[in-house]
Amino acid sequence: MPILQPASLQAEDLRGVWVIFLATALVVAAFVYALIFYALIRWRDRGQSKMPPQFKQNAPLEIIGVIVPLLIVIGLFYITYVREVANDALHANPYATVDVKAFRWSWTFSYPGHNVSITGTPQAPPELVLPVNKLTQVNLYSADIDHSFWIPAFLFKRDALPGFPNHFDLTPNKIGVYPGNCSEFCGLDHALMTFTVRVVPVADYERWLSSRATAPQNATMARRANNVIVRLKRVIVSLSNDPEQRPKDASRRAHRP
Amino acid sequence: MITWLTTTNHKRIGILYMATTGVFFVIAGLLALVIRLQLAQPNETLVSASAFNQLFTLHGTAMIFLVIAPFGFGLANYLIPLQIGAPDMAFPRLNALGVWLFIISGLVVFSGAFAAGGAAFAGWTAFAPLSGIQISTGAGEDLWIIGLLLNAIATIIVAINFITTILLYRAPGMTMWRMPVFTWEMLATALMILMAFPALAAVLFELLIDRHYGGHFFDPAQGGNVVLYQHLFWFFGHPEVYVMILPYFGVVSEIIAVFSGKPIFGYVGLVLSAFAIAGLSMSVWAHHMFTTGVVANAFFSAMSFLIAVPTGVKFWNWIGTMWGGRIRLETPMLFIIGFLLNFLIGGITGVMIASPPIDYHAEDSYFIVAHMHYVLGGGSLFAVLGAVYFWWPKMFGVKLSETLGKWNFWTMFVAFNVVFLPMHFMGLEGMPRRVYTYAATGDLPWLNLVSTIGALLMALSVMLFILNVILSSASSMRVVEGRHQLPDDPWGGANSLEWATSCPPPEFNFTALPPIRSERPTWDLNHVSR
Repeated sequence: MPILQPASLQAEDLRGVWVIFLATALVVAAFVYALIFYALIRWRDRGQSKMPPQFKQNAPLEIIGVIVPLLIVIGLFYITYVREVANDALHANPYATVDVKAFRWSWTFSYPGHNVSITGTPQAPPELVLPVNKLTQVNLYSADIDHSFWIPAFLFKRDALPGFPNHFDLTPNKIGVYPGNCSEFCGLDHALMTFTVRVVPVADYERWLSSRATAPQNATMARRANNVIVRLKRVIVSLSNDPEQRPKDASRRAHRP
Repeated sequence: MITWLTTTNHKRIGILYMATTGVFFVIAGLLALVIRLQLAQPNETLVSASAFNQLFTLHGTAMIFLVIAPFGFGLANYLIPLQIGAPDMAFPRLNALGVWLFIISGLVVFSGAFAAGGAAFAGWTAFAPLSGIQISTGAGEDLWIIGLLLNAIATIIVAINFITTILLYRAPGMTMWRMPVFTWEMLATALMILMAFPALAAVLFELLIDRHYGGHFFDPAQGGNVVLYQHLFWFFGHPEVYVMILPYFGVVSEIIAVFSGKPIFGYVGLVLSAFAIAGLSMSVWAHHMFTTGVVANAFFSAMSFLIAVPTGVKFWNWIGTMWGGRIRLETPMLFIIGFLLNFLIGGITGVMIASPPIDYHAEDSYFIVAHMHYVLGGGSLFAVLGAVYFWWPKMFGVKLSETLGKWNFWTMFVAFNVVFLPMHFMGLEGMPRRVYTYAATGDLPWLNLVSTIGALLMALSVMLFILNVILSSASSMRVVEGRHQLPDDPWGGANSLEWATSCPPPEFNFTALPPIRSERPTWDLNHVSR
């Protein structure tokens, strides 16, 4: 069964937490099951007429019953805290940066600075290409409502929420193709909001990036054109935001020599 | 018949609650069966995506708001006055208002299925903006909101009634520290309701204002905040989980003591743990939001871990109650042992997902579906069935069939685990929750098929239960009123006061009260006084 087989550096740490918790879970469950079944077998009614002892409490045992679970959860919390802080920390200077935008019901993966952007559909899910053994920082956005970006092989997901961009690091360390999906229910075709992650050697990644990018000059032109559009949009937005004030200010500024 | 419509008697209102939840349970269970059939194999086309989304929304909403929580209110309505030696609840007419509001709330929620565009499909959590007017355009979502608002009001009413009754209506001698554990657990539950349900009412009103009256609470394009919705919803939603569990901790404590022939072990510890859980439950809501990246994960993780301690105390004390006893494995006790075995798994996976590094994988996957069904299905619903078998003779003057009851238990226990154990592995393999179809990769096809086969077996088990109820109702018709065949304490070894009056009890519960000198007055009556 292909479970908990991590394909990223971070996932190996996360898997460590899973293993410790699963081991603790099995020990605790086995202990409690043993007590229950022991009691059931040992003291099952077999028609004996003697009344069982009517004891109501045992202070030392009850205190142990508080302290032992408390110690266990303190230990588990310590492990959790250390690993979580390490996992959520963002590293400076990532090798690659990917902007992931979730929308109903697919994803756009774009590589800032490379002019590469891939947009999928529910019927043709997009592919996210990542370099192996290199740190990639993911900037996660939502274009409409709550979604969640989940790559099971990385044992990791993060929500894509409108108005709350999220950022996290991924360092895939096994070449391969891994399924991913939206895990926050987002309406009709939520089930089809999937994608794949293809982890490739660095050279292949670079080759792929340049093959997907439009020619550099065009790219610069496009970026310039884009900048103009963005600025225009900003002006329009600022105008429309406050219909009483803004036009006056804008016109005053325009008339200033 | 008309007397049932106009009744203000707590026993009749309790039975109205429980019978209504029985009907809603069958409907919500059938919805779940369709869900399992659709998921039996990949790319199944039994229902459309749209229908599937409505199915799981209604299934979750009904099981939570119309079955598991209100059954506890019904049982408590029936039992609390009896357990504290009172003739009725403090506010009988308010009580009647509560039960009818609850029944209407269920009808309103289900009526969404007949609205244009179908029932609500945004899930029982109804996250905005998914539940906003732009996406959930139909009246189904409005009926869902109105239904749950009525439900919230009904629930707050019942909580006020419980608290007042418990604090002011106890019989002479029934001090707080002599109250049965079930009554204590209901007091803690009612306090949680008073803190949590106003948050639900608030968030539903805001949703309604956003949808129809130009509000922008949750509309990011207008400065609204989608995380605010999650905070408000889970501020209600997590205490709600304990509203669905604490009553059944009480049920387990009552039944396990009677069938072990011993007093409950560590009574004070059990009571204090109930209030510890109620208090902690108010400070863990954002563990549903670990993956949002905008909450203090460490704090909410630590508080969630702490809940394992009072819950562990309960297990410890239940095992202590069985220890050295004389354990009779009659049907109510079997269901309670089923509760212990299943709930332990749900509790342990609960501790696991209280850890954000684990939750980053498990959140919103089938692992969570497995976890919460082990808590609310394997836990609460097993205790519901245990409670029905245990208190049925008190309510109707006949026992349910033990033979059918044992078949009911064993089929249910096997079926439950066949349905939900595989879901842990589906989640770990990457299957998200709330999907109407999935890719035929890895072990998902056979795991899902096994789960669906279990669901069919579970349907059979529920039919055995219904058959048992019908047969016993037929025999209870034959019991001539006033000539009860059952003794006051039909199981033997009972502790609490409801077993010191006839089966069923008279209109005002007691013709005479036994002296109350400990937390087990009926045991004292049957073993010391006589």
